[in-house]
Amino acid sequence: MALTDLRDKLVADLGRDGVIDDPAHLRTYECDALTGYRVVPALVVLPRDAGEVATAVRACAEHGVPFVARGAGTGLSGGALPTADGVVISLQRLRRIIEVDPVNRRAVVQPGVTNLDISKAAAAYGLYYAPDPSSQQVCTIGGNVAENSGGAHCLKYGFTANHVLAVDVVLPDGTPTRLGGDAPHQAGFDLLGAFVGSEGTLGVVTAVVVRLLHTPATVRTLAADFDSTETAGAAVTAVIAAGIVPAAIEMMDNLAIQAVNEAVDAGFDPDTAAVLIIELDGPADEVEERFAEVTAVCTAATRVTIARDAEQRARFWRGRKAAFAAVGRLSPNYFVQDGVVPRTRLGEALARIAAMADEAGLRVANVFHAGDGNLHPLVLYSEAAGEHERAEALSSAIAELCVELGGSLSGEHGIGTDKACSMPRMFSTDDLETMKRLRAAFDPAGLCNPGKIFPTPRLCGERPGPYRPHPLESAGVIERL
Amino acid sequence: MKPATLAELRDAVRDTDGPLVVRGAGTAAGWAGTPLPGATEIETTGLDRLLAYNPDDMTVAVEAGMPLTRLQAELAPHGQRIALDAARTPAGATVGGLVATADSGPLRHSHGGPRDLVIGVTVVLADGTVARSGGHVIKNVAGYDLGKLFCGSFGTLGVIAEVVLRVHPLPPATRTVALPCDAVEAVDAAGRLLAARLEPVALEWCDGSLLARYEGGPSSVERRAAVTPGTPLDGAAEAKAWQRVGDVSEEQTVVRCGTRPDQLPYVAKHATRVASSVAVGVHTVAVAGDAEVERLRAEFEHVTLCRRPPGSDLPAWGRPHTAVPLMRAVKQRFDPAGRLGAGRFAPWF
Amino acid sequence: MKRELLDVCVHCGFCLPTCPTYVTTGDEAESPRGRIYLMSLAERGETPIGGAFTEHIDSCLGCLACVPACPSGVQYNLLIEAARPRIEQEAPRSLGERSFRRLVFGLFPYPRRLRVAAVFGVLYQRVGIRPTRLLSRLPARVRALESLLPPVRVRDLFARTPRATPPAGSARRRVALLTGCAQRVFFGKVNAATVRVLAAEGCEVVAPRGQGCCGALSLHSGRDDEARRFARRTIDAFGDGYDAIVVNVAGCGSTMKEYGELLSDDPAYRERAAAFAAKVRDVTELLAELPPIAPRHPVEARVAYHDACHLANAQRITAQPRQVLAAIPGVELVDVPEAQICCGSAGVYNLLQPETAEELGKRKAANLTSVKPDVIATANAGCLLQIGRFTSDGTPIVHPVELVDASIRGAAAPKGG
Repeated sequence: MALTDLRDKLVADLGRDGVIDDPAHLRTYECDALTGYRVVPALVVLPRDAGEVATAVRACAEHGVPFVARGAGTGLSGGALPTADGVVISLQRLRRIIEVDPVNRRAVVQPGVTNLDISKAAAAYGLYYAPDPSSQQVCTIGGNVAENSGGAHCLKYGFTANHVLAVDVVLPDGTPTRLGGDAPHQAGFDLLGAFVGSEGTLGVVTAVVVRLLHTPATVRTLAADFDSTETAGAAVTAVIAAGIVPAAIEMMDNLAIQAVNEAVDAGFDPDTAAVLIIELDGPADEVEERFAEVTAVCTAATRVTIARDAEQRARFWRGRKAAFAAVGRLSPNYFVQDGVVPRTRLGEALARIAAMADEAGLRVANVFHAGDGNLHPLVLYSEAAGEHERAEALSSAIAELCVELGGSLSGEHGIGTDKACSMPRMFSTDDLETMKRLRAAFDPAGLCNPGKIFPTPRLCGERPGPYRPHPLESAGVIERL
Repeated sequence: MKPATLAELRDAVRDTDGPLVVRGAGTAAGWAGTPLPGATEIETTGLDRLLAYNPDDMTVAVEAGMPLTRLQAELAPHGQRIALDAARTPAGATVGGLVATADSGPLRHSHGGPRDLVIGVTVVLADGTVARSGGHVIKNVAGYDLGKLFCGSFGTLGVIAEVVLRVHPLPPATRTVALPCDAVEAVDAAGRLLAARLEPVALEWCDGSLLARYEGGPSSVERRAAVTPGTPLDGAAEAKAWQRVGDVSEEQTVVRCGTRPDQLPYVAKHATRVASSVAVGVHTVAVAGDAEVERLRAEFEHVTLCRRPPGSDLPAWGRPHTAVPLMRAVKQRFDPAGRLGAGRFAPWF
Repeated sequence: MKRELLDVCVHCGFCLPTCPTYVTTGDEAESPRGRIYLMSLAERGETPIGGAFTEHIDSCLGCLACVPACPSGVQYNLLIEAARPRIEQEAPRSLGERSFRRLVFGLFPYPRRLRVAAVFGVLYQRVGIRPTRLLSRLPARVRALESLLPPVRVRDLFARTPRATPPAGSARRRVALLTGCAQRVFFGKVNAATVRVLAAEGCEVVAPRGQGCCGALSLHSGRDDEARRFARRTIDAFGDGYDAIVVNVAGCGSTMKEYGELLSDDPAYRERAAAFAAKVRDVTELLAELPPIAPRHPVEARVAYHDACHLANAQRITAQPRQVLAAIPGVELVDVPEAQICCGSAGVYNLLQPETAEELGKRKAANLTSVKPDVIATANAGCLLQIGRFTSDGTPIVHPVELVDASIRGAAAPKGG
């Protein structure tokens, strides 16, 4: 009843063209890029501007109907998974770049603008938007804000949270408000900082003010082959220990390289055990000095290829950024995992993952942001061969291994639906209850993207997994009261 | 009360009644409004241990009462530092206090403020709940980022007990160039330096000079300084120039405000002295009197009062911005009884 | 719609920004990923053929921009070619829809019929009655048909390509030219330029008689049997004995390169079709292969090159036309925003889905004219017609080979009409 009323109201306000209720049509919205979770929404709305977003949210709030904002649907944690009997608010018609302000080095954009299009619009002024998730040509800035997206270059440049000055949001009751301001100084608590990365649970973004940086004067990139992931990992530690902050250090293991070479002509050696892509950028002198240090540190490499021009560098990155999807060429199905370990434990983490994979009888390809210790193990399996459950268990075990090693369940893909049940491995009940206070302040009715981040009995069974002590806690460094 | 462990802090909060006010080293006691009299003071300076530091991971965990200068001294032998240089640091400001006040200095140009450096926190809420958020790795999106929420909370949401920070390498060399100019020219000159992609680590306009500081390899730093308009400063002059930037915060009436960078001239016209991170638009502004503060507030939304002369009845906050109702809602959920820091954020709370 | 082809899609969404209908609507079902999802549902019997399925498959331009964008290697071309016949076979269309389709498919693939229709069209234009008010009230489809007609003279409609043209000097290649159906009628001058350029570059050029439509229009609209009929006839008409079969229409070239797969179930034609397909070359592809021997004269022009989808995406030919154009002294090639987005022509799409086509046409024209070119060049008849319809500032639109021809002949760049 509420849904019928709501549909009529939305059709009246947004037009027939802005509301989808055909059953087959709705099914195309039942999942994001994590297809393992599927829920058909009751309605999808496609508002055209901020006013229509507010109208849609207010209507949902008034009818007590849950809603989920959706960008390009490229998320890998099921963060945009619809709720049954709920509404999906797609922001794909809010795609305007409202302003590029070269004097103040910022841009104001609607949430449906893709990450890469911001940089394209800024390019005319020698500026760009720094965070560069691998899906940057597709993923939208609204989704980046929701997930606090990182990317290959966040080692030097930081994440979405470090590059967003303000967001216009519609709060879950339909009230429009602005978080943040004209500069990184807010009068009061950093609500903006709390909002970025809240996975769409605190409100719906209708405009984003981002900082733009000047493109670096010089970029130098090399690809170094290693005879094992351990020696590659050691090289990463050596670079960082030398006091160098590269723009990016990425690693791919042999399986990932094979996939990438099939997908794009990236030119990686198909026989090497691991490749590191190391990129330095900045003023020419500084980069050259540091680049020499990096190449010196890579003595254990079996081969070092220095990109001779922008084209070759672009090829390295095309290969790296296509890696996830390219694995589709090696295996009919796979899980993309995302966990973080302290960088000094990379080698240990990789060895344990390999052992776990052997034990499970599955292949795991590794593609990751080595400089940040942000692992992306890809667990390959075949649905047809009935390997789904085994692969899912292995993938979850890898994420939890990251926590055990003192890291995190997620570096950039978010908790979403996928890892909500693992949250108690990383956070105590009090931690989670405290986070829920923030949620309640924004969304007392709990209508905004419900069922994400926090474990629920329905999702996780009656008893979510038990808390395990953090290693620092075990070591007596920190105490859990 | 001066708890020495997290448990003592938790007990101090949980086992007492009535209003509480949190105090670190007391270097920003007057910021953001005067606490109402009669509140029990919780001093965090007893919580001053280094909890975990592995230089190769470039993260460090400390108790909130540790002075930043002491933490820097722990890191320096490993060639590392916290890239935070708030003016009150030499006066003994604690890590927790700097987070609670969201304070920063000229390095904000390249490294941001506490929000950009804090990767994990442990907080004690008004009801004694101990909660952690974030963790010990730089890249981490698991759960809400309470560390950022507590930046600029001035002790009103909870007591910050532990802080995990990311560290940065100490630069091998630095060099500052000073270019005399007015506020309008400073905006243009800063834009040109950035467009030349020289990547200064700080870019501060203060007392009629634009200071550009470079950090990096010795030859690179010298070459960048050489192509920067203005006069390269030698060691003593360099220290003195940056000291002057810090001194602005010591004037009688001081606010910090955030504007679009090109608004600097409009900010400066109200000021007796300004230390402005001109390229990011964060200004520390000394003004002649309360009336100028009101004028700044009339023009700009995000103005924080840092210092006012004794006896001034200037309200700590101006007209509420659009997110203030949401701040009240958050305060209500974290501290429904209003125990913590009553008087701060008046008249907003 | 084969399960194993569908399963290659991992739902990553990398195709979204390349899809013209997604870019204009923002609707998941109007994207390659959404369409594959619908195909997948239909394959499992979870959604009927018809309704939303038909609507969103029909609206696909078939531009295949999603294919090179796909990191997983989804063969969307095969998927969409398999999905369309299902609609034709299983989902009854309305009477009006059927009649219009019959008209289109009874006209365009047949040069003689098309020529008769075009004569009437040109005469109708001549009379000067283009009553805009009345016109704007016509259904969009009729308006599209009407306004696509390029500014041609009746005489042009009857231009013929000579049966054989000798090479200048000794022959480097012996090639056969597809003269096309709509191409032959509307763009006789492109064929003439192609013949002149190839001859000047040392090719003996034969235009086999008896050739008709290559089958592209039918294949791209799910009319498989009709497409196979056209393909067999084309193979027969061309016969053997050529180094290459040269095509100057991207849509035709891409279909002819697929003859091997199209006729793979036909034992009588299977091998001949594969051999034939292997020899098919776009004219720019062939010119890029042959080191120029004919001297080029300067053509001072800023040229915006538009990638025809069936050249760039289906045949992966993007460098060669640019290389051929850049080799002309005086030509300045400029990049165009949103280069990968289809112009909306897409075979007969602009007749069947005129609203979307119109939106895309305007968008493409705006992007092309935004770089202020002296000439727009594109290697496909449909694009030439479509862009011509929406470019209102008089910028001439030519086939790249016409610029090469102008350069070899020492003529000026074509002027706007």
